[in-house]
Amino acid sequence: MHNLKASNISRFFGFILFGVILLIVGNSVDELRVYQGATVAMYVVAISSIILLTGYSGQVSLGHGALLAVGGYGAALLRNNFNAPVWLCFAGAVLLAALWGALLGATAARLSGPYLAGTTLALAVGLPSIANQFKFLGGEQGLIFDIGLPPASLGEMFSLYKWFFWIASLAALISMWWLQNLLRSRYGRVWRAIRTQSIAAELAGIHVARSKILAFTVSAGLAGLAGALLSMTISTVSPGAFPLTLSFALATGAVISGVTTLGGVIIGAVTLVAIPEIADSIAHRIGASENVTNNLPGLLVSGLLILTVLFVPNGPVEQMKHRKKVHI
Amino acid sequence: MIGKNRRKLSVASAVIAAGSLLLTAMPAQAAEPGLTASSIKLGITIPMTGIASPGYNKIPGAMKAYFEYVNANGGVNGRKITLVVKDDQYIPTLAVAKANELILKDKVFALIGTLGTASNKAIARSAQLKTRGIPALFVNTGFSGFADKKAYPTSFSLLPSYQMEAKVIGKYLDENFAGKKVALLYQDDDFGVDALNGFKQAKIDFAIKIPYASGSQGVAGVAGTWITKLQAAAPDVVVLFGVSSATAAALGNAYAYKYAPKWILGSVGGDAVTLAANKVPPVFLAGAKGLSFAPSPADATDEYIKMFMDVNATYNKGVAFDNNIVAGMTSAFLAVQAIKSAGPNLTRKGLIAAIEKNGATFANPGLTPLGFSSTSHVGATGYWIGTYDTSGALKPDGGKYTVYTTDSGNGPVVLSTYKRPAMPAKGLPN
Amino acid sequence: MFQILNTFLIGITSGSIYALMAISMVLVWRSTRVVNFAQAGMALLSTYFGYEVVNRFDSYWLALPVAMISGAVVAAFIELVFMRVLLKHSNSGPIASIAPIIATLGLLGLIKAFIGFFWGNQDVNIESPLSTVGFSIGTQTLSLSPMKLLILIAVSMLLLVLTFVFQKTNIGLALRASAYAPEISRLAGIKVDLVRTFGWALAGAAGGAAGMLQTANGNGALSPDSLEFSLLLAFGFIAAVIGGLDSLLGAVFGALLLGLVLAFVLTYVGGSLVFITAFVLLLVVLIVRPAGLISQKAGRRA
Repeated sequence: MHNLKASNISRFFGFILFGVILLIVGNSVDELRVYQGATVAMYVVAISSIILLTGYSGQVSLGHGALLAVGGYGAALLRNNFNAPVWLCFAGAVLLAALWGALLGATAARLSGPYLAGTTLALAVGLPSIANQFKFLGGEQGLIFDIGLPPASLGEMFSLYKWFFWIASLAALISMWWLQNLLRSRYGRVWRAIRTQSIAAELAGIHVARSKILAFTVSAGLAGLAGALLSMTISTVSPGAFPLTLSFALATGAVISGVTTLGGVIIGAVTLVAIPEIADSIAHRIGASENVTNNLPGLLVSGLLILTVLFVPNGPVEQMKHRKKVHI
Repeated sequence: MIGKNRRKLSVASAVIAAGSLLLTAMPAQAAEPGLTASSIKLGITIPMTGIASPGYNKIPGAMKAYFEYVNANGGVNGRKITLVVKDDQYIPTLAVAKANELILKDKVFALIGTLGTASNKAIARSAQLKTRGIPALFVNTGFSGFADKKAYPTSFSLLPSYQMEAKVIGKYLDENFAGKKVALLYQDDDFGVDALNGFKQAKIDFAIKIPYASGSQGVAGVAGTWITKLQAAAPDVVVLFGVSSATAAALGNAYAYKYAPKWILGSVGGDAVTLAANKVPPVFLAGAKGLSFAPSPADATDEYIKMFMDVNATYNKGVAFDNNIVAGMTSAFLAVQAIKSAGPNLTRKGLIAAIEKNGATFANPGLTPLGFSSTSHVGATGYWIGTYDTSGALKPDGGKYTVYTTDSGNGPVVLSTYKRPAMPAKGLPN
Repeated sequence: MFQILNTFLIGITSGSIYALMAISMVLVWRSTRVVNFAQAGMALLSTYFGYEVVNRFDSYWLALPVAMISGAVVAAFIELVFMRVLLKHSNSGPIASIAPIIATLGLLGLIKAFIGFFWGNQDVNIESPLSTVGFSIGTQTLSLSPMKLLILIAVSMLLLVLTFVFQKTNIGLALRASAYAPEISRLAGIKVDLVRTFGWALAGAAGGAAGMLQTANGNGALSPDSLEFSLLLAFGFIAAVIGGLDSLLGAVFGALLLGLVLAFVLTYVGGSLVFITAFVLLLVVLIVRPAGLISQKAGRRA
């Protein structure tokens, strides 16, 4: 037991150390990389939300984009209508999305794999179009989500993107730390039990449906946070920002990260941000035609996804662990 | 605990930041980004792939073609123009990411032709065009909100606003179909809301209004239900105020149902080439009314259209010539004049000032006055109304362009007396 | 009254297009237990092959079978060289529930990029072989044209043939057996792998037909990013889920229901509601029947 506590403390300091490294890195790279860093942090939260759902509770969601939208709109509405402080906007986004997740999870708990996939897919297709139905959601052009300028105490040279980067990184670090602890708690063990042996877990007295709903709720809350972060980085929230392709991209990121462990989440997040730029520079270097230039990013992402599924189905991190020891 | 840590961290980071500042800030800010004595770099982010791309993905090619034509003839003030193209798939998140790449990595001098209301709004705010003073030339949206110069001080739009268009249609309806039953098909978003506002100002009462969700025109059967609804309401005139795919779907289905009221097509969805490619038989379109601010792309007697066709053939591999090509080349044409007018000591600030000062007198194919001034960043300010002929081309009534001009506010719709300046020799304003 | 009739006809024709897509999803699901999101991509690719034929030989009637055959070949190829390896690699652990779905998403991306490389991202066109003008009754025009009639006939024939193959032939029996109990089937001497490839090929052919018919019935335009095809994917899958993924009849039933409900909502409620209606319909059906309208008994599910 004391062993567990010790590892808890060391993990906490690990996160702090990681935060400090991020700070230093954030200060030594240029503005574009800082912006991309904020996007990576957003993806970290969004992908970990999917990994929690799929990897730990065995449920599939192809519609996480819709939950991100709920968070994004929640944050923007709080900010615009009640002038809420930024942290409260993010908290509100988490709560609102979690509420939606609970409702969705209650339905989802009855459904098996492909039926759940279909439901979430239909949600991703249907939900963003609601914004055009209600005036207060701002229609196609969306709402502004302005978190304001960085505090003056940080100095005049402190750019808006660095502020985004700080907030997104802090949010990602806190949620990852909290998620790690949650997964090591009773809930985490219950989820793993359901995932591997659903019937045995039920016989052992675990309320399977309730645990699945809880997993969906937590996952949706994280997705809501990611949605608020996404809206922050583009300073607006609009239906177009949450297309079906976003949901697919997140699922892709989760698989590239490895759905069985949170450890690799950064890999998927970086990949999603880096691939388009890498594709651009390759196309530029080989002087590719327009057809190739336009389609290279799609080719690289899809190719990488398929290679991952074929050769490291459980993700690169798990693969390395496996090489070291047979069991986790 | 966290607060304390953060304070410590921020002190540490301030020290590091100060250090790195000393290192990087030494070479003084020499010239404006994207600019050398012999070159100027512009950037465009637009959907090249994705569901919104068909049609619009021809715009960058058209711009490049015209710039190459200018470059081959000496460039502008000795500078050759290059255009960096990025694909944003019509997703605002990607549009911001791509705009940032253009601004921070490719270091473009100005953005040009960004497409989509949501994308433009997101880029303007997140990429801080205002505080950084980065010009966004001729954004591709007719949303009237971009006329707000305070919110978007560096953005210029070329297209007349959707609201202006609705007002012009309203005036036409009032003069020609007073007391008749009128129907409206519109897109259920800011595009449509803008239009509804315009029609309200023109005091048009529709017998039936059919909204459709953006993207739903691709769902099997959707357009069919529009026509059954229209048939049941039996209006005399139907205004189609949607995107190309929706307009084509409506007309295609009307053809299938042998339904033929008097049609009025909004400019966004009224491109004859796009409609013809979407199986709307030109004969069926004959007699319909349409609007445009530029000359018809089929009108090879127009000196600009003729010149654009030649440039398209030489520098754009002869891609099918349509409204998208005209729009792209018109933007490029105006950009060249703006750069020219800002003088050899080009700066971003100077470019914006030049458009505000001289923009209203820039030569361009458009048949309506340009509204650029120190108080307005809206380009074209009106439309001419014409009739589609049996070949599907939009022709002015009586062989003469009758142009109406108005604003995005409460102003009246009046006949324009604007005379388009003659085209600079060989279409080269440089 | 006439409006009701036409709305009904619209619902039936659009439903039958979803049905083709739903059928091909069900075929793949039944033969390999994979939800194939690449189905729309495969349909798109075979429609491009069809377009090439139309372009060269100016015959839609030649292009239709070519699209179906190439669809079958592409699908069989994908199953052989790709899905087989994939399912062997990731058949256990949490990845097993998501890997096939995600892999087919990857395939969809690959196919789209491939099409973009060769044909570009701009529209190409396929002319409709039959008139799209509706038949008339007196002064009224029905929402039923020769082209739409062709679609209805093609879907019914395809369904009849598939039902026959599935229920009455040995290969159909083998298909059903391999899906439910691959190990036992193998012991019984059924070439499970071959049978699975056959299931994919059938689905590919159905998808090719769906692509050709949908394109000719719609506006004729075709591009890798075609809105129609992404919606065909989403709505075809939703229809299959509504019907119950295990039943061919369910797929058709779900698709027609979806088509009809959408048509009536669009005509009598509001045009902006189309996407959310599909979601609500799916939700309502699944709350009442969690495994779709026509579901197998739980004990029989693999």
